[in-house]
Amino acid sequence: MTETIELALKTLEAQLNQPLETALEACARCGICAEACHYYRAEPKVEHIPAYRAEQLRNVYRYEHDFISRLFPVWTRAKKLDETTLANLTEIAFSQCTLCRRCTVNCPLGVDTPLMMRAIRAMATAAGTAPEILIMLADAAIEKGKDPSFYKEMFLEQIADMEKQLRDITGDENATIPVEKQGAKILYVPLAGAHTILPPAVVFNAAQEDWTLSIFEASNYGVFLADVNRAKQVAKRIVDEANRLGVEEIVISECGHAYACYRWDVPNWFAGQFDFKVRSLIEVLAGYISDGKIKVDPTAIPGSVTYHDSCNLARNGGLLEEPRYVLKSIVRDFREMTPNKAEALCCGGGGGIVALAEYAERRIAAGKPKADQIKSTGARTVVAACENCRLQIGDLNEHYNLNIHVTALTDLVVQAMRLPKPLPGMEAEHLFEGEQVEVPR
Amino acid sequence: MLIFQLLALVGLAAGLFGIYLRYAETKRRALPIDKSPVKGNIPHGIAYAFTTGMMPWAKESTRIHLIAYLRGIGFHIGIFTAIGTVILSPLWGFLPPLLSSTLFWVLIPGALLGAAGGLMRLAEHNLRGLSLPDDHFAVWLTTLFIAVTGLGLVFEAFVVPMYIVSAVTFAYIPLGKIRHCLYFFFSRTFFGKFFGRRAVFPHGTPYREALK
Ligand code: SF4
Ligand code: SF4
Repeated sequence: MTETIELALKTLEAQLNQPLETALEACARCGICAEACHYYRAEPKVEHIPAYRAEQLRNVYRYEHDFISRLFPVWTRAKKLDETTLANLTEIAFSQCTLCRRCTVNCPLGVDTPLMMRAIRAMATAAGTAPEILIMLADAAIEKGKDPSFYKEMFLEQIADMEKQLRDITGDENATIPVEKQGAKILYVPLAGAHTILPPAVVFNAAQEDWTLSIFEASNYGVFLADVNRAKQVAKRIVDEANRLGVEEIVISECGHAYACYRWDVPNWFAGQFDFKVRSLIEVLAGYISDGKIKVDPTAIPGSVTYHDSCNLARNGGLLEEPRYVLKSIVRDFREMTPNKAEALCCGGGGGIVALAEYAERRIAAGKPKADQIKSTGARTVVAACENCRLQIGDLNEHYNLNIHVTALTDLVVQAMRLPKPLPGMEAEHLFEGEQVEVPR
Repeated sequence: MLIFQLLALVGLAAGLFGIYLRYAETKRRALPIDKSPVKGNIPHGIAYAFTTGMMPWAKESTRIHLIAYLRGIGFHIGIFTAIGTVILSPLWGFLPPLLSSTLFWVLIPGALLGAAGGLMRLAEHNLRGLSLPDDHFAVWLTTLFIAVTGLGLVFEAFVVPMYIVSAVTFAYIPLGKIRHCLYFFFSRTFFGKFFGRRAVFPHGTPYREALK
C-alpha cells in the first residue's frame, strides 16, 4: 500500500463517526434521489445519481469494514482503494457535487450524501490529490492571518478612499467605516472587494449601528477542502479579532459557505472561546427594516425580481424567510422560483467549484436547470445573497443568454433607501434596461 | 414441524444478534455533539423526519416517483407484517378469521409489490446501474419470504417452506442490504436533528421567530 493510499484510508477511518457510518449504510439504492441533483437534471445518466457517487466511496468502505464484502467482493462491488480509485473519488467529490444537500432532503431515508463527499474531500486533501488551487487559497489566508501588518496599511488606504465614496453616496459627512474599533457591538466580516464593504457600510451608518470592519475576509477555502485543521486556522483569525475587540456579534457578508462555517462549524471548533453571536448580513437587514432602523421605499424597485436561495443559506442554514421579508419590503414585483427555499435548486456554483477553472464547462452545464428556472420566472433581476452563486449565475446569464441583472440583496436595499447618489454600478437607469425608473434625488 | 419452527427461531435469533452487533458497533463510534446555537427546534425536526417528512407529498422526489414510493411502502408493510405473522405462527389456530384474512390480503399484495420492485431493478436503466448483486438477492429473498408467509397462512403445504425461508431471511438481515432497516432510524434521527436545529424543517418558521 502506498503512502498516499494509507493516508487516504487513515483519514476515512478518523472520520468514521455515527453520522458517516449511517450515511454509508442506510442507502437502499432505490434511485429516487436522481432528479434531486442538478447534475442529473442537466445530464440524466447513472453516474449523476447522488447514490451512485456515494457508492464509489461505499465500495471502499465495504472492503475495509464488511466481512461479507471481504469474502465476496463481487457481491457488493467492494473495492480495495488504489491510486486510480482515489483519483476517481477526488474528481467526483470536487467536480460533481456541490455539497448542496438537495439529495438528502429528497431521500426517504435522509441519506447524507454530501457528508460522504466531504469525507472523500478530506481523504483527498490528506493524500495530496485535492485541487492545488484550493490548498493555495486556504494557505494564503492562513499566512495573511499570521502577519496582517504586511497588507494592513494598503487595506486602510483603500478603506479611506471608500469612506469618501460612502459620504458621497449618503450625503452624510460623518459616515465612517471603522476598522478595529475596540468594544464595537458588531464585527462585520466582508469578502474580498469593495462591493461587499461599501453597501453594508451605507446600511450600518443609516442604522446608526455600533460596528467595525474586520481586516480579514470571510471566505474559508479550508471548508471546501473538508480540512478541519486548515479551516480552523483560517477561522481563528476572525475569532481572535472578535475576542480582541470584545464585540457582541460577528456579522458575515452575503456569502453562503462563510455563513455556514461561522454559524454552524466555528462554535464547535472553538468551543469555550466563542461566546459571540453569528448572524448573516441578511438577518441584520431584515431586523433593521422590521425595526424601522432604516427607511426603505417599498416602491423603490419597479422591475421584476426573483431570489435565488443559496444552498448554504437556505437548505443548510435556515435563512428562508429573512431574505424574502427584505425583498417584499422593497420590491413591487417579486417572483418566486419553483421550487424554492429548502427545495431550491443549486445553481451549480457551490462547494468551491467556481474556483476550479478546470471544471468550468461542467459547472456551466450543471447550472442549466437553474438557468431554466430563472428564465421561467421572467424576472429581470436575480438576487443572490452569496458571492459564489452570483458568480455562477453571472456565468449562466452569459452562457444561456438570460438577459438578467444579478445583484446582492444589500445593494438592492441601498437602492431602496433613496440616497442622494447610487452605489457604483447600481445607477437605477442602468439597472433596469428599457424601464424608466424615477429615483427622487 | 417443530424442527422447522426451531430453525426459524435460530434464524431470528441470529438476525437479532447480528443487528445488535451492528447497532453496538455504530453506537461505539463517536457521536459529534453540535454546540452551535439552535435556531429552530430539534425535537420538532426529529418528529417531522419520522412523520410528515415521510409523506409522499413532502418531497419533490416522492412526488415525481409517487408510484415507486408507494410500491416501496406497500412492500415494506408486507415485510413487517410477514415478520409479525411468522412470529405469531404458533398461535395461528387461535387467530380470528378476520385477522387471518386481513394478514393474507396485506401479505400477498406486499409480495407482488416486492416482485415488481425486483423486476424494476432488472429492467429500469438507473436502478440496474445502481443495484448490487446483494440488492437483487435481498429484494427477491424478502419477496419470497412475504409470499410464502401469506400462502402459509392459507395452505398447509407452504408452512414448512415458510419456516425455511424465514430462517434464511432473518439470518441474512445483518449480513447484507436488508440491514438498512436499522440505519433508517439513525439516518432519519440525524436528518431531523440537523434540519430541526437549523430551522429548515418543519417548514415555515415564522419570520419573527426566525429573527430570534
Ligand atoms: S440516497 Fe436515498 S433516495 Fe438515493 S438511492 Fe439511496 S436511499 Fe434511495
Ligand atoms: S449534494 Fe447536491 S450536488 Fe451533491 S449529490 Fe447531492 S444533490 Fe447532487
